Amino acid sequence: MNNPIGALPAEFENTHEGVKILGFWVFLATDVMLFASLFAVYVVYRSRVALGPTPAQIFRLGPVLAETLILLTSSFTVSLSLYAARTSHLKAAIAWLVVTLVLGATFVSLEIHEFVTDVLAGHTWHQSAFLSSFFTLVGTHGSHVTFGIGWAILLTLELAFRGLTVANRRKLFSFALYWHFLDIVWIFLFSVVYLAGVMT
Amino acid sequence: MRKAPEDPTLPGESVEIPLLAPHLSTPHFPARQIAGYVTSLILTGLAFALVAYRLLPLSTLLIVVLVLAFIQAAIQLGVFMHLREGRGTTWHLPIIGLGLFVGLGIVGFSIWIMLFKSGVS
Repeated sequence: MNNPIGALPAEFENTHEGVKILGFWVFLATDVMLFASLFAVYVVYRSRVALGPTPAQIFRLGPVLAETLILLTSSFTVSLSLYAARTSHLKAAIAWLVVTLVLGATFVSLEIHEFVTDVLAGHTWHQSAFLSSFFTLVGTHGSHVTFGIGWAILLTLELAFRGLTVANRRKLFSFALYWHFLDIVWIFLFSVVYLAGVMT
Repeated sequence: MRKAPEDPTLPGESVEIPLLAPHLSTPHFPARQIAGYVTSLILTGLAFALVAYRLLPLSTLLIVVLVLAFIQAAIQLGVFMHLREGRGTTWHLPIIGLGLFVGLGIVGFSIWIMLFKSGVS
């Protein structure tokens, strides 16, 4: 069954759920400031490489492009999950959510692989101010995504057992907000850290 | 099945500022999502190609890549994050705006202060 155009989506139907969504936006606003601080530290320190490698020496754009496309696709699939929930298709909502968390897990494993490769080559975050700020910034994003995967697993179970209740719809909406927000942060990581890093 | 509530029943639910009135729509086909995804893919590919194949001089390259990133962020916010939806006044707009204002200030002024090659750097 489709919502007629202009109708209020079910997650806003209950006043309390609407307030919780507003609260989640407040959390996202604080997360914007957290990532802004880490970006500021990174852009200030990115040229301070000490005796370690420069950004252009350790960044490989191929795997990073793959990570970007995977996260972008997962952002699309979670929007389809929310769309399915709003049009009351429970199975489609669960299926797209599972696709999203699988893509998220692929993204995290590619990032862990990148970090392990760097560390095994001796480029730990002790080596230079650039590497400290790089691992802190990218690692904070990666840990957010990892947390999001755990959240998506719990949300999938809740949808499977309890169905599309108003509370579950609101939780899916909040999760979608969180996931799209992480995609926005990654777009800036991709541009400011990786693409700008190989411009020499 | 569901209808928009006739009129806000609780204090604080009315649209107090016309600019912050919610925009709601759930059409029969997720066309906006698909369009947003395709546009994001094109913008990502464009930014990547510009850098990988050095299609622009170095001085303008960074600015173009940043502009492409901000366009993509706007697409994520507007299309995927349903930015204009809400119950009553969309109070999350000024909140997220404040977050962006402070965030861009932190980044912008950090870069600005480090451009003075004296003392602090």
